[in-house]
Amino acid sequence: MPLSASEIDAFVAIAEPQRRKIIELLAPRGRSVNDIARALGLGQPQTSKHLKVLKDAGLVEVRVAGQQRIYTLVGQPLARIQAWAAAVTATWHDRFDQLDALLVELDQEEPTP
Amino acid sequence: MTPTSFADPVAKVELERVFDAPPARVFEAWSRPELWSRWFPPRGFTMTIKHMDFRVGGTFDATFHNPEWGDGPFSGTYVEIVPGEKLVWTAQFPHGPEEQILTTVTFEDLGGKTRVQVVQAFRVLTPETEEAVGGAPTGWGQSLDKLGEYLAA
Repeated sequence: MPLSASEIDAFVAIAEPQRRKIIELLAPRGRSVNDIARALGLGQPQTSKHLKVLKDAGLVEVRVAGQQRIYTLVGQPLARIQAWAAAVTATWHDRFDQLDALLVELDQEEPTP
Repeated sequence: MTPTSFADPVAKVELERVFDAPPARVFEAWSRPELWSRWFPPRGFTMTIKHMDFRVGGTFDATFHNPEWGDGPFSGTYVEIVPGEKLVWTAQFPHGPEEQILTTVTFEDLGGKTRVQVVQAFRVLTPETEEAVGGAPTGWGQSLDKLGEYLAA
């Protein structure tokens, strides 16, 4: 199945290092903007900008808890990206198996003196 | 100017493997077309190399074949070549953006064995890209999933 436009947006969203850090921060639990800003050592406006990109890409969602807006991860798009990266990695592992076999074969064909 | 790294890749894959052969020998498997074509195609595929000019700035033009999927052509340019140590190339698919994928391979001498590390960065990934790749005349690369899975060149 092709990746949808929003999944491609998700790729772009996670390409930015600070946004990847936000995803790591949110992996164990939801956090407020201030909490995230503090952990990243960034200002609140800058942090909010990153959160907006992540939200638009469908990677995080926000809920209001009292005075605070709590951001949490949305699992599905991330799982799709991880699956895609895992498929590329698996192809390389197959290749390496094939290269390994070829090197053994070459070794037998032309033994090193 | 061909980049030697992508500042902000949209996706990146990294992995490594230790091979029981010295770097010169492992490197040869990437530099000689008759050897490269024997191990590089994804499982279930064969590979023909129409053209391969193994020098910095040189290009290659190759195709993966599979009875079910048909043909998957791709091409690329060698960006950096340090025999037995490092190899960098960019690659693209027909009708897709140029230099879409940057592959960096390093070979580390472990005294008779070689640690090979591959870093593959995907520079461009837009809906237009996907359309361009999906619209290839061979019907190849219908999706970026397949692009990643089968054409991780």
